Amino acid sequence: MDAREIKEKIFLAVVVILSLAAVLPVFHVFLSVIWNGLGVIMKAGPRFLLDVPPAPNAGLGGIAPSLAGTLLLAVLSSLLGIPLSLFAAVFAVEFPDNPLAKGVRVLSKALLEIPSVVVGMLVYAILVVPMGRFSMLAGALALAIMMIPYVTTYVEQALEGVPFTYREAGFALGLSRPKVVFDIMVGIARRGILTGMLIGFAKVLGETAPLLFTLGRDRYNIPLGPLDYGDSISLLIFDYAQTPYANMHQVAWGAALVLTLMFLAVFLISRRFTEEVFL
Amino acid sequence: MIEEKGYALQIEGLNVWIRGKHIIKGVGLEVPKRRILAVMGPSGSGKSTLLRAINRLIDLIPESRVEGKVLVYGTDVYREDPYRVRRLMGMVFQTPNPFPNMSIYENVAIGPKLNRLVKNKEELDELVKWALEKAMLWDEVKDRLDDPPHRLSGGQQQRLCLARALALKPKLLLLDEPTGNVDPVNAVKIEEALRSLLRDLEITIVLVTHTPHQAVRISDYIAFIYMGELVEFGLTDAIALNPKHELTVKFLRGEV
Repeated sequence: MDAREIKEKIFLAVVVILSLAAVLPVFHVFLSVIWNGLGVIMKAGPRFLLDVPPAPNAGLGGIAPSLAGTLLLAVLSSLLGIPLSLFAAVFAVEFPDNPLAKGVRVLSKALLEIPSVVVGMLVYAILVVPMGRFSMLAGALALAIMMIPYVTTYVEQALEGVPFTYREAGFALGLSRPKVVFDIMVGIARRGILTGMLIGFAKVLGETAPLLFTLGRDRYNIPLGPLDYGDSISLLIFDYAQTPYANMHQVAWGAALVLTLMFLAVFLISRRFTEEVFL
Repeated sequence: MIEEKGYALQIEGLNVWIRGKHIIKGVGLEVPKRRILAVMGPSGSGKSTLLRAINRLIDLIPESRVEGKVLVYGTDVYREDPYRVRRLMGMVFQTPNPFPNMSIYENVAIGPKLNRLVKNKEELDELVKWALEKAMLWDEVKDRLDDPPHRLSGGQQQRLCLARALALKPKLLLLDEPTGNVDPVNAVKIEEALRSLLRDLEITIVLVTHTPHQAVRISDYIAFIYMGELVEFGLTDAIALNPKHELTVKFLRGEV
């Protein structure tokens, strides 16, 4: 073995060790969530998804209202956020020279990094205080604000990735601009657009801070309307992990596993969209 | 064959600027109905821009400006609504560009469907079949109309694009080097299809090409463009046998 080969071996070893060091914490998170959560869910059984949370030191109960809240919030915020994002992206791509469209572009990039707790405060000020109550609607609005810049940016990129020649072909068929955009461009970019929507959806599943001052944390009743108080799994974890009661810590671990699995499911679906061969 | 009176395409004093650069410089020509005009010239001479000035795709290019007059079957292109104007014309591009998310059938059907030219599914089926036949592709695809277009060869894809354009029954067909990216066998098929279109339909064709052979082989009229200027325009036989301009002679010999 000469000096060059030895150097290469050392280099390889360093790369492998450093990569492992980078990835291990992620595995550790997953494993400890699965390890701690799985035991709780096995012990609680299906009731974990169907029951209300326990009193201190009184068994495991379930997380049904928080689970329902998380799902309903994700759907409600998508209904508020996704159509807006779609139009904002189309506007930014179709009218690149319009000052307002330029503003949309810059703003959507800037909002990507906005501290989520600030969004919670904002919605508290503009919706919760005037209405005099927390609500699912306020929570969904805060989540929609978190989601819009992500979805807008993804949709923008998906539309911009459509080669110019398809746009020309559309206009050459005598189609109006809306038809070229919605019947041709959106169709060609549909995988990227769907991926963006799913990523937005996945993002709001786990958000906590925007819900702190907006949702009201009623974790004993399933929310039935947009003006009801609600809860989310993320808030339940946040609150229960801070209590001094062992049974509530366990519920938090179980809830963490449920949330992680939901997130993984959405992530895997979005992977399927991006992996399919696009030609 | 019925002889039609009047011109299919008249261009007068056409100038085009893109980002301040003068691309087309005072071009004027006239093509009678049911003829093929070949626009030939070296790469970068402005042929594609000229084509896009005829159907106003030039409007899509930012900072472009057009002066002059274009008449297509008597319609003043720059005084009409661009969307209506484009419906009079069909266009085939240099690189085959069938819509990748649509089936073979949908690619042909999309134009008539979105422009609401058909009343029902039967009529649409009929039109799609007709257009594919005219593009000489029907026999090759009739059993797999639901396939995505990328299963077709490049040459077949180009004929699919021809069918997509024909489905709108255009009076003027614009082709931007349609055989530039396809194999010789398919190139011959496309040329055959164009010839038979002219025989059977009320249609006029403008074909951009950078090969003088194709221009001479297929066209009735030739316009030779060099650096944005119309160097020579006339009947193909006259230009092929007796070119007047020195540049034309050189281009036909393959020297420019």
